[in-house]
Order: sequence, then C-alpha cells, then structure tokens
Amino acid sequence: MASAGQTGSRAQRRTVTDHEGFLRHARFRWLKLALAVSLISLVGYVAADGKVRPYGGSWYGYTLGTIGALLIVWLALLGIRKRAMTRGRWSLKAWTSAHVYLGLALIVIATLHTGFQFGWNIHTLAYALMMLVILSGIFGAVAYASLPAALSNNREQMTLGEMVGGIQAIDRQLLDAAQPLTQDYALLVLAATVQSPFDPGLVSRLSGRFPHCATQRAIEFLNLADITNPAVGRVETLLLRRKAQLDRLQRQMRLKALLEVWLYLHIPATIGLIAALIAHIVSVFYYW
Amino acid sequence: MIDYTADRRRIVRDRDIAKTRLTIGRAADNDLHLSDLAIEPQHARIEQTGASRIEVAATGTLGFALDGKSTDSASIDCRSGAELQFGGNRIAVSLDADGAVLLTVERIQSEAQSVDEERGFSLARVMPSRRLTAWLSAILILGLFLALPIISHVTRGPDPKVHVIGDASWTPGKLSLAHHALEQRCEACHVRPFESVRDSACLACHTDVHDHAPMARQAGARGDPPLFELFLQRVGRQFGKPGPGACVACHAEHQGAGRMEPAQQQFCAACHATLSERLTDTKLGNAGDFGTLHPQFKVQIVVDPTSRAMGRVSLDGHPRENGGLFFPHKLHLDPLGGAAKMASTVGAERGYGNRLLCKDCHHPTEDGVRFLPVRMERDCEVCHSLVYDRVGPTFRTLKHGNVAQMIADLSVAKPSWPVTAARPRPGAYPARGDYYANFTPPGGGVLQKAFTRDGVCGECHTPVYSGGRISVMPVTQSARHMMKGWFDHQDHRQAKCTTCHAAEGSSSASDLLLPGIAQCRTCHMGEGSGAKVPSGCVMCHSYHPAATAPRKVKPDRS
Repeated sequence: MASAGQTGSRAQRRTVTDHEGFLRHARFRWLKLALAVSLISLVGYVAADGKVRPYGGSWYGYTLGTIGALLIVWLALLGIRKRAMTRGRWSLKAWTSAHVYLGLALIVIATLHTGFQFGWNIHTLAYALMMLVILSGIFGAVAYASLPAALSNNREQMTLGEMVGGIQAIDRQLLDAAQPLTQDYALLVLAATVQSPFDPGLVSRLSGRFPHCATQRAIEFLNLADITNPAVGRVETLLLRRKAQLDRLQRQMRLKALLEVWLYLHIPATIGLIAALIAHIVSVFYYW
Repeated sequence: MIDYTADRRRIVRDRDIAKTRLTIGRAADNDLHLSDLAIEPQHARIEQTGASRIEVAATGTLGFALDGKSTDSASIDCRSGAELQFGGNRIAVSLDADGAVLLTVERIQSEAQSVDEERGFSLARVMPSRRLTAWLSAILILGLFLALPIISHVTRGPDPKVHVIGDASWTPGKLSLAHHALEQRCEACHVRPFESVRDSACLACHTDVHDHAPMARQAGARGDPPLFELFLQRVGRQFGKPGPGACVACHAEHQGAGRMEPAQQQFCAACHATLSERLTDTKLGNAGDFGTLHPQFKVQIVVDPTSRAMGRVSLDGHPRENGGLFFPHKLHLDPLGGAAKMASTVGAERGYGNRLLCKDCHHPTEDGVRFLPVRMERDCEVCHSLVYDRVGPTFRTLKHGNVAQMIADLSVAKPSWPVTAARPRPGAYPARGDYYANFTPPGGGVLQKAFTRDGVCGECHTPVYSGGRISVMPVTQSARHMMKGWFDHQDHRQAKCTTCHAAEGSSSASDLLLPGIAQCRTCHMGEGSGAKVPSGCVMCHSYHPAATAPRKVKPDRS
C-alpha cells in the first residue's frame, strides 16, 4: 500500500514539473532567491562604510566583485550543462531557472560593485559586455516563453521538410505551366522558382520583409499580361499558391530568427565578457 | 538526349533528325524542343553547311554560350567538337562513328538546390559562426587590454620617459588634480606588478610630510580593530597590502579629477574618540565629534611676561594673560566715553568715526586669517602723543620703544611745560582733568614721573629695573592662540568681532578675550549633524602636522 502511494505521488510530482516552464519552476524558487540576494546586496551597500566613496576596491566592493565573478562563471557553465538533459532536483530546467533569475540579480550585484564609477576602460567594458549579455538574455527568455507557441501554430502540423517540399511541388508545376509564355514572363517565372527562400539575410528574416521576392515580382508583372491567355491564368494561380506557401515559410523563418538572434549576442558576448573579466581582475591586481 | 531520373540514373535517348537545319526553342514546334524557361520559344537555329561544319545563330535576343563564351552566332567544325549552352541545357557537338553530326543534349543539374531544411530556417545560414565571433572577441580583448600592457610593462627599459603602452585602459578613474601630471605614468606609483602602492612611492615626491605621531604611539592608539576588520587586514596582509597606517589607507586615488577628498570624521574618531582607553598616558582629551565629544580649547598664552615664556592652558580654568601691557578695552570702546570723544575730534584724518571700533587698532594680516600686532606708532600715538617739546613751528617727539634714547632726549630737553594744548582724555590725571603728556613731576625727576602709573610710559607699560637701569616689561602680543587647530578670521567676517570676543566689557588687558568651545558650537557641530555648519575634524585640524591650513580650508590648486 505504502509503496503504491509513494509511486503515485512521485508520478504526480513529475506531471506537475513537466508542465511547468523554466520561469515558473518550483514556484519561482530562484526568483525569490535572486530577489533576496539583490536586496541583501543593496542593504549591505548602504550600510557599508565606504571610506571615501563607494568603489570596487573597498572591502564590500571586493566582496561583491568576487560574488559577481563566480556567478558569471557559473552562469556561463550553462553552455556546457545544457548538453546533458536530466531530470530531478538538479534538472536542466532548475538549472535554467536559476540561470535566468541569478543572471538578473547580477545586474544589482555588478552595478553596486562598480560604485557607479564608469569610464572608458577595461573595467567598464566588462560591465558593458555583462549588461549586453543580460539584456540579450532577457530578450531570449521572453522569446522562449512566447514564440514556440506561435512557431508551432504557424507550422500547422507540417514539417519543415514538407514546407519546402510544397513549394518545390508548385515549382515543378510552374515550370511546366509557363512553357507557353513569352520570354519576358517565362524569365520572371523562372526567377521565382530558382530563388531560394533561404537567401534573405538577417534584417529581412527579423523584420519579415522580403523586398526582393521574385515570386511577388512575377505576380505583379503577370497582372499586366493578357488575362485571356489561359496559360497566364494558370501560371498566375500557381504563383499565388506559391506565394501563400512562401509566406508561411517566411513567417516560420522570422519566428525562428527571433528565437535565435539573441544567442548571436549572448554567446559571443559571454566569451568576450569572460575575457574582459580576466583582463579586469588581472589588471586591477597588476597595478594594485 | 540525356536525362536523369530522381535517383540520378542516366537515361540516354537517341533520335535521328534527317535535316540539315534545326530549330531550337521552348515552343513545341521546334526540332529540338527544350522545356526550359530560360530558353526562348524560338531561340536558335543550327544549320549544317559542310560535311562536318555547322553554323549556329540565335534567332531570339538571348544568345547562347560557345565553350563558355556568350555569343549569338558561331561556326563549328564538328571534328574538333565544341560545347554549346542554351539556358540550362548543354549541347556537346561532335561526330559519331558514321561521321554524322552528333548533338548530345544534357540538362544541367541544378546546383544542390536542396538545402538542408533545418539549416535553411536557422539564422546559422546567414550569420557568422557564434564560436568564431566569440573566440575573436575574446582574443581581441585579452590581446589589447591584458597582453599588450603587461608585455609593454615587462619589456620596457629603465628610461623613465618611456611609458607603458596600453595601460590607459586600466585606469579606473581620473587622478586628483594634484596628481594630474602622473595620469599617463601609472608605473610611477604602481612600481611593481601585483604589489599594492607603497608609502615609498608617495614619499618619493612628498618629502616633507610628517608622521601624525610616532608609529608606535599610533599603533597603540589604534588598538585591535573589530573582528571583521581584523580579518580583512589579515587577508590584505597575506596579499601584501599595507596596513592601516599607510598613505593609501586614507588617500584614495582614481576618484575623479578634482581635489583629493579630505578624510572623514570617522577616520579620526576611530582612534581619538576613545584614545584615553588605549593610551592611558595621553595628554589629549578624547574627541570624536566637534558637537558632542571634544575637549575645551587649550590656548597658547604668555605664562611669564618677563621671559616671554608661552604655555598651553585650557580655557576652562579661565586663565588670564599678562602680555606686559595695561589696556582697558572697555574704556576705548565705550561709545559715550572720552576715547570716543577724542576719536571724533582728532581721528578724522585716520578715518576714525565718532567712536573707536576694533578695526581702528586691529589690522588683519594679508591673508585675512589673523591680525597684525598692534603698533604704537600706527594705532595709539594719534591720541597717546609722545611730543615733549616745541621748537618754532615743529615738535620734538620721543622715539617709542627705545628707553635709552628716551632718557637721552629728555635729559637735554629744556621743555616749556606743557608743550601742547590740553585736550580731553579719559582718566582725570592732572589738575583740570585735561590730558597732556605729563613729564614734570611736582618735585621729582622727569624720568621717575614718566614711569609712574600716570606717567607717559607707565600708563601702558610696567617699569622694571635691572642692573640699576630702568626699563619696561617686554610686550608680547600673540597672533595665534590655537596652535593645534586652525581658525580663519576671513571665513568668519560676517560675524561681529564682539560676538566672540567680549571686549566691550573688559577693563583689563589680562582678560583673555577668547571664546570657548560653546561659542563655536552655536554654529559648528559634528560632521553628520544638522547644525548650521556641520564640521568634520579636518575643518580645523591637519593629520600631518604642518604650519599651514588644513586640507579642507586650503584654496584649490588647479
């Protein structure tokens, strides 16, 4: 009996955690901890008797600096930790939750460590990189919390392969249907079919605007063509279908870009931050 | 015609065309019909002009490529062969075994159009690798901001003019104005790597700075710090950080261009608030806050007028000072008295008003901090005339300050007394209460009369006899009484003199007209107080004993 009960509660707990996102993990345990850490740092900052004015070299400054540096190293370790997905108390989700909230607490700890002294130097560079990492991380956390639903809605049960396949199928029909067209229109259709949907760069992907879309161009020009020609009508219909499919693919691409773009700041800036942190610490003690 | 199946198997279809003229195009009525949208409906014409020669000519506008070169007409010898390209189709020209012209048409495989879908959707397709940018930024930062300055520092020569390259990125803040010249010379203070700034670096320039007190006394005064402070000091010592007595313990640099901030009250209070507990033999009273914990002022006064010996005594004992002079302030400052009357009658040329004021006799020093000694010739003689004889239109005057000269002058004078018209003067000395220099005694020597309490010398000076010669007690006027504190009269010019110095009620020169600490506290209280003038220790005191003003009141050096 007893063992059955135990199994039941464990199963229940697992169900709960499985449906809980990393932000709400364990009833915001890490958010609470991060708030507490920030508050303690703040109170300590006010209470600490900065001899002249607060700065990183006071004993409280060293304390906050040490905590901040260790925290940065631990936060960066998520990059390695995430490669092993595990469950339980020290699950990857718990780790990610802690990563997010303790990362936010770092804003308070590191800012107090600076004593609000900024300048054009390696120390402020390290701070700026850290803030860049944190801000991109905030973007990432928001993106991870909101975009996946939109991403899966947009797909409508299709795989990415099917999305591309659908367009390729239309292309084959287009190449066939466009045979009777005059050369001007034929080239437009050809251009539409050979243009890879994956060519657009970062700005187009993020904004969702594709000004050089050959399919759109072909549709616009075909509108001017002789509509009594049945071949033109057929090609136009196919192009419109292609455009609809392409729109879905481009939306997918945009969501994916929004979901990924922060990492292109977050990861290199983290490595840059660790380098700047090393330079900051070594230089401070080199010229002690 | 060669085609490919989906799994890239080659399919070859042979077709004989019994014509010497072929048309090529996308339209179905062409001899060579290529369903390629890059090919015009009527694209080109191929004509066999000899046994093994063909002419190719474009019939549309697009042309074709001959051996990779764009053209719109070509003549080809089929024995040597050639390759034509129309849109996405390649036609190899050759002769077959029978000697007939052979055209091999092959569709060009589209170049790996099938992108890996996952990768296509991902930003990885259009962004530089994260790993690459990460490593590049790390290498750049470590190289520029760490390796460069260290290498430059380690490899620089002994020439002091050669500075370390790149260490400007290390400075956490601007130096104070006094150290501005060292801004580019970090190594001037940061002498050795990983060694915190030593006193020796400061003393290299600051050669005249004195210790606050002997080091052993200071260590005794400091006592044991609180446990946590002690822990921090131990940790600091492990890393070679100098202890609490070091220059940098108080003088923090890199706090921004401006004056170096003077130390706060708590620095001093840490030792001085409870000094007597640790230095039981100290003569200093405990002081932690000017408003609440500070001993009464000890002032330096004349303790022996003859030898002019000075000593410091507390104002609490209401000390009196004998400077060797008789002088009643009350008499001179009384607005209705004789001095006021005399000032209004004789003093117009000296700028006196209708009464005497402090400023009429007390002149500030050039810096306004203190006052010059009162001088007889300048400040007294207008009223207290030393004229003793008239010769024609002019007068003969005794020289003040030289007794021997006075004796000589008077001994040869044939004075016709009195030499000057009587004029009213406070004190009713001679018969009618009029004042004039009274040199003649009614039956006594001239000199003896001069030195009596009513005489011309004796009214201010105390006569002394030494070795049978008559003289006067030396006069000592203290310009400064607070030798350990700094008081600047210029900073207090908005206050009236009599607010602090009770001169108007003083009838004797031995009254010490110095205000006590209670008077100061009407405006000045401790650093953290809500008083009119919150005052830290450094407002009056210097940590390093010096004759100049403390840091707080020194003018800006810029």
